[in-house]
Formats: sequence, structure tokens, C-alpha cells
Amino acid sequence: MMKIEAIIQPSRFESVKEALLEIGIEGMTVTEVRGHGRQKGHTEVYRGREYTVDLLPKIKLEIVLADGLVNRAVEAILKSAKTGKIGDGKIFLSRIEEAIRIRNEERGEGVL
Amino acid sequence: MASPRLGLEAGYRPKKKMTDPVSSLSVLGPQCDAQRERIRKLFDNGASAQDTLRQLCELADGAIQQVFAELLRSRQAPAQGFCLLALGGYGREMLFPYSDLDLLFLFGNEKSEEEFRPLIAEFSRTLWDLGFRVSSAGRTLDECRRIEEDNAEFHLAMLDRRFLDGDATLFEKLDAKVMSGPEKQARPFLLNELQRLMCDRLNRYGNTIFHLEPNVKEAPGGLRDYHSTLWMRQLAGDRRDPRISPVNEDELTRNAVEFLSAIRCFLHYSNARNDNTLTYELQAGAAERSLGIDDNLRRNAAEWMRLYFRHARTLNRQLLRYMEQRPQATMTLRQRLVNATLGARQEGTNGKPFMVRDGLLELTNEQAYADRNATYALLTEASRTGVPVSREAERSIAYIMTHPELPQRNSRIAWPVLSEILGADYPGMALRPMHRLGLLIELLPEFRTIDSLVVRDFYHRYTVDEHSLRTIEHLQELAEPPDSRGLHFTQLWRTVDRRDLLILSLLLHDVGKGMPVGNHIVGSLQALEIAADRLRLEPEEKAEVHFLIEHHLDMSATVQRRDIFDPATVSAFATNVVTHERLQRLCLLTYADIHAVNPEALTPWKAEMLWRLFVSTSNYFSRTLDRDRLHASDESILLEQVRQQALGASKADIERFLDGFPRRYLAVHSPAEIAAHFALYRKLGAEPVQTDVKVTHHAYTLTLLSADRPALFATIAGVLAAWGMNIVKADAFANAAGVVLDTFNFVDLHRTLELNPGEIVRFRQSIADIVNGKQALEPLLKGRLAAALARPPKVAVPTTLNFDDASSDQCTLMEIVTQDRPGLLYGIGSALSRLGCNIEVALIDTEGQKAIDVFYLTGQGKKLAPQKQELLREVLNATLS
Repeated sequence: MMKIEAIIQPSRFESVKEALLEIGIEGMTVTEVRGHGRQKGHTEVYRGREYTVDLLPKIKLEIVLADGLVNRAVEAILKSAKTGKIGDGKIFLSRIEEAIRIRNEERGEGVL
Repeated sequence: MASPRLGLEAGYRPKKKMTDPVSSLSVLGPQCDAQRERIRKLFDNGASAQDTLRQLCELADGAIQQVFAELLRSRQAPAQGFCLLALGGYGREMLFPYSDLDLLFLFGNEKSEEEFRPLIAEFSRTLWDLGFRVSSAGRTLDECRRIEEDNAEFHLAMLDRRFLDGDATLFEKLDAKVMSGPEKQARPFLLNELQRLMCDRLNRYGNTIFHLEPNVKEAPGGLRDYHSTLWMRQLAGDRRDPRISPVNEDELTRNAVEFLSAIRCFLHYSNARNDNTLTYELQAGAAERSLGIDDNLRRNAAEWMRLYFRHARTLNRQLLRYMEQRPQATMTLRQRLVNATLGARQEGTNGKPFMVRDGLLELTNEQAYADRNATYALLTEASRTGVPVSREAERSIAYIMTHPELPQRNSRIAWPVLSEILGADYPGMALRPMHRLGLLIELLPEFRTIDSLVVRDFYHRYTVDEHSLRTIEHLQELAEPPDSRGLHFTQLWRTVDRRDLLILSLLLHDVGKGMPVGNHIVGSLQALEIAADRLRLEPEEKAEVHFLIEHHLDMSATVQRRDIFDPATVSAFATNVVTHERLQRLCLLTYADIHAVNPEALTPWKAEMLWRLFVSTSNYFSRTLDRDRLHASDESILLEQVRQQALGASKADIERFLDGFPRRYLAVHSPAEIAAHFALYRKLGAEPVQTDVKVTHHAYTLTLLSADRPALFATIAGVLAAWGMNIVKADAFANAAGVVLDTFNFVDLHRTLELNPGEIVRFRQSIADIVNGKQALEPLLKGRLAAALARPPKVAVPTTLNFDDASSDQCTLMEIVTQDRPGLLYGIGSALSRLGCNIEVALIDTEGQKAIDVFYLTGQGKKLAPQKQELLREVLNATLS
């Protein structure tokens, strides 16, 4: 099992969700986050006040998948989240040792 | 409020089985099960909740008495100095199928406690095995005398005590001698605690009955409201109001309690546990079996829920009235000062049939309210000051409204009156009572479609009408935002123009959800058509509300689905919104609409995104003003509208007048206003300076047309300052032919024009004379500015000055934010003129003590050179410091 963590542009979220749905991935955890990588923030002045946007709004998706699905999911995210500009985000993959369904304490890939 | 804490954990599960002495009770278990099944069947077959609760109570009473007797017999101990009481819901004989049995073991003294306490665990175990969940406590008589300050719930449960078994003389002693003193003593404490517990509970549920999946016990309007009202009445010595009730309140209450009790029984039976949440599925189930209704009419879940809300409203209204009538036991210094201030406002309402008492608006002459104008005056006062209308006042008005022997006068409200309520600082303070009294639906029958309407989705927590009213309350709380999400939007709320139209849009934006249309926005717009005709809105007012309703989801969608840091997104959004004023209204509407979905819907992240889009779009407007100029020949509809109003004018003349104005000119002026401007333009040949002064919302508007000339803007600003006028907003535009059209919105600080209407002629003449050079400005200004500058500002605003060469192709933009003061614009305009800068376009705005001015400047027809910008910065900093 692998966990995919994808940090994407908020505006691409709907497309990413649809792309994942198309390959049969429905379950995901979504968090509104702020951060920046190479895409630094910028400063906006409104009515004499300076607003510095150094942490940019992003969406974080977390999905745990069986190994066989991971490549397809990554591909779907890459295709749907990419605009080609700085700030498109990142995908992180990590191995998951166990998954347990709380309701019936079932374990393994079957609970995903 | 949580279940009364009685000492043992609710639902206590015994570890040991029953011992021999009570094994004879083994037949009682199946008997109890059979009885429960019988009661359930009766309920399923239509028995009333009252009967069901009574039978469940009798079943429990019988089982308890039998177990108690067996236990005593097995111990061969007579129950002397020991008895058993039912408390809480069980005490008042409202035992629901899966509710706990709240029991108190009462001991005469410590000796009898020592003797009988070992029985308690065994007794509880036996009852558990019989299928009863016991929550019990033990107290001696002496202990009952003590006020347990950390356990108000116990004292409240004791108010419903009922003798079950054992030493009856002990119970009589408790009732007659022991409790009478402490209960009297504890009243203030209990009333305080009860008030605190109720406030906590109501707050936990957002202070509204209108939840989509309500908890029928704990949520506002639930059975706990009824019990709390009973406790309050009991603690207050049951002071019944001797006046005639507006309707038969006791009967309404009985019906509401029966209806909610039936639901609670149904929920317990359906969930097979003490779960009181009326979920969507169970709403459908309850509607299917017409639960709580005996009129044989079939209702769908939404219609059945409307009945639920009607009953919940009865119980909640009663509780809130009792809570309001009970004064705070102790007030903090701040509360006392606030009350004193509010009390002092009585003077302000002299001559009107209401006054402020204890921070609430109360009626002083009830008969006056047969005239609906008095009711609206009261509601206007609430919306203006934020002082709530008392529940008692509301009750009196309801009585007058529903009694035909008191015929209502002036029952039709005019739009200006409603507009004043909607445009005030606290419109929700009036709209809430208006909704409860039925006045809102009387004024806006379109609102009826969403009254108590449940629309199921994953996000909304409240009924549609509640959501709509909450949007308005979220805006009014921006005066003092309760958390960081609202901070950015406070200034927008304070300065938004035509707040009345924004609030009307919020009232109507979702009414389509109650109409048989595919898209609710289409329905809401249909409703607006009817409402606007009835209220006689001006075409521009209707168009604005139409835009806000039609596009009420646009800003939210842009924030969530578009890259708001992409200039193309901002430009497309701005093109749709058109003006800064409208952007401000749409932004506030979006903020409120998201906020009112549920308490968590507006995350700080979303609020920040919304604010970013607002800032980017607002800056886009102020920085692209000269980019898009009018080509009059493309505006055939407008040309025709103006031509119809300007008799005898040729199309070519109108085109010549309009050509070259920035597009904003069209966006901020109606065709009628443009026609009026054109009429002034046509007179320029006879008189080179044309002016017009109009009274607008709490201010004046001066329009001036003239051929462009040096220092024109500074001169007009100077004349206004010389007359003591405070400029709050201004636009300066020029067309392709070099005709300048300046609009100044100003406040008449010394009420010169208001008190002396004849002075308007002299005022206009003074402007014309000074602009034409027939009269000098400086002598007029001298005394006025010296006096004004002598007054220190209330809030210090630091000056910032920015130049921008990138936003416009032809001009340098200069944005100044500084302390507002009389003569400010004159000072800036004069400095610009001295340095040879020409104002191509100007946008002047104020926020309280802050002036925000944007000038599009040229020098000899070009952008300002960097050296010129530096010089200007130096001069202006010196002028403004």
C-alpha cells in the first residue's frame, strides 16, 4: 500500500477529483493548506495597506491505495493538476504498513 | 444540558449477577419485555405520546417497587429511614423508551445510610437485568440541605422529585421541612445556573431551532426548552402572566410537547437507543406514518418538518421570553455601564411609543401599535441602534396583529421605510422579529416559499429561511467581528453603498429553492420581478438586486475553481462585476452566504481567498479606469434611452457628449442621470459652468460640467471646503472633446444647505463665480481651513503615496491614502496644478477618517517622468504632513 500526498492549486481540485473518479478512486482526504515552494508570494497594496501573500493557498489531497493503482493515480493527478506554471504543486509517495477499518477492525488492502 | 449528574455513571453495568434472595424476580424480566413490546405496538398503532410515556412510567414504577420490596424482604429490613425517589424526566412522568431512570436513595441519617447503602448496587444490577438503565445517587436528609454549587443539575432534577417507595414519612419530611428552606435559598443560584446552562446549550446549537437534522431533546425548540421553562416558572414561584394571551399558549404548548414527545418515542424505537437526532431518513419515516398528526393529510418530509418547526418555535419562544424576563442576578461593571448607557437612550425615544429598558426595546403605549407605522418605527429603531425588541413587546404586537377587534392602520409599508430598516447597521435586529411576527412574509410573500424549508444537502445545516437571515446577521456582526475571519470585511460593511439593496438580495437570493424550478436562481429572479413591482423599486435598484441574485455564486466559484492569482481570472471577473461599488456588495454577499451555510463553512483559508480576489479586483478597477473608453456609437440602447429623455436632441449631439468618457461613467450613472448631464452639457454654450445639486442618501451630490481648465478639480474642492462641506466621494471624468464632468458627494457638516434651502442657489453661484474667476477662493477658504486644522483628528492615519506607471498606457497613477480633513482635496489638487500635472481621471473615496484618492495624471499629455514623480512626492508629503 502507498500513500499519495498531492499539493495542488485550489483551482485544479475539481479536475483532479474528476480524473481520479474516472479511474475508480473515490476516497480521499482533502485539506485546505497554505505554503510555498519555489513559487514565492507577492505583495498587494489595497487602500494604503500592504498585503503580503508569502504563503499561498493550496489544496492537499491524501489517498492511500493498493500498489497496483498508484501509478495510474499519479498519472491522473499529473495530467489534471498541471498548468505548466510555477506553483502547480508536488506529489509525495510513501509506503503504508497497515490499514485498519475502525468499524469492524478489518485489516489490509481490503479496507481501502 | 447534559443528563443530570446523580453520582453514578448513567447506564451503569453491574458486574455480578443477582444473588438468591431476589431470584424470585426471574419472571419479572420476561414480563417487563412483554409489557414494553405491548406499549411499543400501541404506539405504532397510534397511541398518543402522553399515553406511551405514562405506561412506560407505570411499568418502571411497578418493576422498581417489586424489586425494592423483594430486596427488603430478603434482608428482612423494614424501610424505615430509607426511601426511593424518581427524579428528572422520570420524576415528572415523562419516561421515554430508552431513557435512563434517574433515582435518588434518600436516607434519614448516616446510620440508615450505612445500613442500606449496600443495597443500592444490588438494586441497580437487578433493574439492569430487567432492561432498565439506572442513573442513581444517594443522599442523607442533611446532605439534601446543602447547595452543591458544582452540581446544579442535581438540584434541577430534584425539582421534579416523586416518591416511589420506602419510608413515606421521610419523603414528607424532605418535602415539607428539609427542602423548603434550601430550595428557597438556592433559587438565585439555580436561576443563574439554569440561565447559564440554557445559554450554553442554545449557543452550542447556534441559537436557532432551524436545524436540518435537529436533536429533538437538546436543540433549541426541543423538549429541554419546555423543561427549562417549567423549571424557571417553578423557581420564580410560577408567576403566571395574568394578561390575556395572544393565542391560547397553554394549548399550543401542550400540542408542541405531545408532537415532540411522539417524535422522541419514535426515534428511540427506531434507533433502539437514546438517540434523539431527527435524521433525514427518520424525517421521511415520520412523515410516512403522519407522526403526531391526526388530520389524515399526507405530507412529504419537508411539509412534515414545517410542522415540527412550528411546534419547536412555540417551545423556544416561550423559553426565550422567560429567560429575558429574568434579570441577571449579578452584573459586571461593564454590563452595568452598558445598561446605564442603553437606559439613557430613553430620552432619545421620547414621543414614540417605546423605550429602552434593561437593554431591550419595550412598548410604552400598546394601543399605538394598531397603527403599523408605530411597529415599523420600533423595528427601525432596533435596526438603527442594535437594541433588540423584547419578547414581551413582540408578544403584545402579535396579540394586536391577530385580533380583529383591533383593526390595523397603515398596514402597507412603503419601500423607503423598508429600505431604512434594511440599510441600517443592524438589519437583522428588525428582520428576526419581523419574521417571527409574520411581517416579513406580509412584506415579501416570496419569502413564504422558504419558511422552515428543509433542503437536503451535505453542507447546509439550517433551513433555507434561517440560512437567509443568518447571512444578514453575519454581516451586521462585522461591526465587531467575533473572529479573525471577518476582520478584512469589517471596513467593507461599514462603507458599502446601498446596503439596503444588498440585504434585499440576501432575503431573496434563495427563495427559488422553495419554487418548482430546476435552478433556484431562476426562481429567485422570478420572485424579484414580482417583489420589485410591488415595492416600487426604481429600475436601477431592481437591476442591482437582480445582478446580485443572479451572480450570488460567482465570486465563490471563482475563488474555489479559478486561479485568483492569474491576472486573466481577475480581469474576467472584473469585467462581469463592472464597478467597485458592486464588487463590494457582491463580496459581502458571498462572505455572508458561505458563512451561513454552517459554522465551519467559512474557513479562514476561504475567507482569505475571498479577500484576495476582492483586493485584486478592486485594484484592477482603480488601475484600469482609463483603459476602456466609451465609443458612443456602440451604445445604441443607451443613446435611445437618453434621446427619449432629452427632447429635441440629435443622436450625433449625444454621441459627441458621451464619446471618450471612461466606461465607469456608464456604470455609475443611470440613463436618467446621463440624460440630466446631457441637458447641462447643452447649456454650456450659454453659461460655461453648469452645476446641479441633489440631496441623496444622507448627503448631497454636486455635478459640474465645464470645459477643461487649469486647476478645475482643485478649485471645486476648494469651494466645497470653503462652504464647510466634507467630500466623501468624487469622480472626475473628461470626454474626448475636453468637457469635464465632476461629481462630488459631500456631507453638509454645518447643515447650511439643510437649514437654509435658499442657500443652494448662492452656493451654486459661488462655484460658478470662482471657477470663472469672478471671485477669489483664498479669502473664503482662509478662515474655514484655519478653524478646521485647529481640531486634532480623532484617529491618526499615516500618509502613503504610490506611483504606478504600468497600469495605464497614457497616465501615471498616483494613489494617496492619508488623514481625511477639510480642504484635503483642495490641497492635493492645488499641488498637482502648481507642478503642471493634469488630472485625467480621479476617484476619491473615504473610509471614516481615511481618504483614499486615485489620480490618473499626465504632464504635457504624457506620463509623469520619474523626477517629476519624486518632486510631487516631496511636495505632497510636505502638504499632507
